[in-house]
Amino acid sequence: MLGKLLKFDLKYGMKIFLLLHGILIVISLLGRFLFLDQLNFNEPDAALVSSVALFAAAIIFLLMAVCFCTWMIIAFRFYRNLFTGEGYLTWTLPASGVQHLWSKIISGSILFLLDCIIEGGCVLLLVTGCNVTEAYSVIAPDVNSELGMTLSTFALILFVIMLISGPVSVIQTYFCIAIGQLFPAHRLLGAIAAYFISSFLIQLLSFGLQIGIGLFPEYILIGPTDTADQVGTYLFTTMGYSTVMMIVIAILQYIAVHYIMQKKINLL
Amino acid sequence: MEPILECRDLTKKYGSKYALYNLNLSLERGQIVGLLGPNGSGKTTLIKLANSLLHPTGGQILINRTEPGIETKKVVSYLPDRNYLGRHMRVDEITAYYNTFYDNFSMERAAKMMDALDIDRRARLSSLSKGTLEKVQLILVMSREAKLYILDEPIGGVDPAARDYILQTILTNYNENATVLISTHLISDIENVLDHVVFLQEGQLVLSESVDEIRTQHGKSVDTLFREVFKC
Repeated sequence: MLGKLLKFDLKYGMKIFLLLHGILIVISLLGRFLFLDQLNFNEPDAALVSSVALFAAAIIFLLMAVCFCTWMIIAFRFYRNLFTGEGYLTWTLPASGVQHLWSKIISGSILFLLDCIIEGGCVLLLVTGCNVTEAYSVIAPDVNSELGMTLSTFALILFVIMLISGPVSVIQTYFCIAIGQLFPAHRLLGAIAAYFISSFLIQLLSFGLQIGIGLFPEYILIGPTDTADQVGTYLFTTMGYSTVMMIVIAILQYIAVHYIMQKKINLL
Repeated sequence: MEPILECRDLTKKYGSKYALYNLNLSLERGQIVGLLGPNGSGKTTLIKLANSLLHPTGGQILINRTEPGIETKKVVSYLPDRNYLGRHMRVDEITAYYNTFYDNFSMERAAKMMDALDIDRRARLSSLSKGTLEKVQLILVMSREAKLYILDEPIGGVDPAARDYILQTILTNYNENATVLISTHLISDIENVLDHVVFLQEGQLVLSESVDEIRTQHGKSVDTLFREVFKC
């Protein structure tokens, strides 16, 4: 049954997902071959710097927008399938609440994973031109020294953290929507409020954790972050603790969603 | 014969308000039953409980001697009183969806009914009129070989001509061992097809009798009796 649910869940919104990521790939290809490959980094001037900065900003905005749309597809599908009129069909299928929840978690995580891979691929496509890599090789020693590792290793670790954060974000999104269902008259508003309140509490917890274990920049143990290797060390230690904390929170949120889906659903 | 649906002291509370209170009810197999009552009488709550869309506050509801869950969902075919299909889907996609999830779904029966109604199977559900959409929903529900059909306002949104077709569809597409539970306000339209009626008021059972008994003992039609019992 889980396989059947997954099949239909993955199908839902796939056209929009493919369209958005297709556009992203086309823009990345155009950006690489029509813009970045044409740049000459041997004779840098103000125009070059500003055009590269503008291009980078546009690409970052595009990547974030596509990621946000992926998140919207996942959130909208969960809400629509389970808590609107469609819920009358979904909840009367011969499947348990746990199967529905896992189907949504797995399919949401797959979409996030695909999004990460495609976006990572687009970034790679953009920055692997000969002129860009040659220009980077000039500053590579300084960057490596700051990070304490090569940029490619740094990017790979970031990518892995992104992959882990996919299912965590999916569960957090479902948690907020499920909490919203407890307020029958204001379900959407309840979900949005749950998102902001839970995000705020997580930030507070993260901040407290950073102070508690001495990871706050230039606070207790780390000392000045401008020393060689310190930026990378600080970033990864912080991200390591944050990832563990997010996983623990996701487990708690999963338990809450599971309970709500088993006991507290009342479709309008 | 064991009842297909049984309620034992069934209670459902929303906050401090009782939607159902100590309801005891038993529905036999092979009948068409009318679930009747004014707004807020607990009809929809009872239907939701039977479909595992709600959990009872107290008491028990049994379908085919089992508490609502995965096993009962396999034998209950439910038509809600609203559009419950994904509007982005095409008619053939939603038919395939039903066929995937329900082992007792008959593609052949669905195709036959859709052809009879001249429904375009490539049409998107969002492009169908309200009446046609309701017909598609009913076709999907009645194309299952279920033991209990629960139809919530199946004729509420369609014209009188379509009502006749829908009632005919219900009558010709359930087997003699199955039970059809119909909740509606349009009593006079369905009265002739009913075998048994259940009246609910404020979450409690007011009457559970066969239509023949009502006619012989009360000397009234179900519609007339309903108007008397629930007179404002």
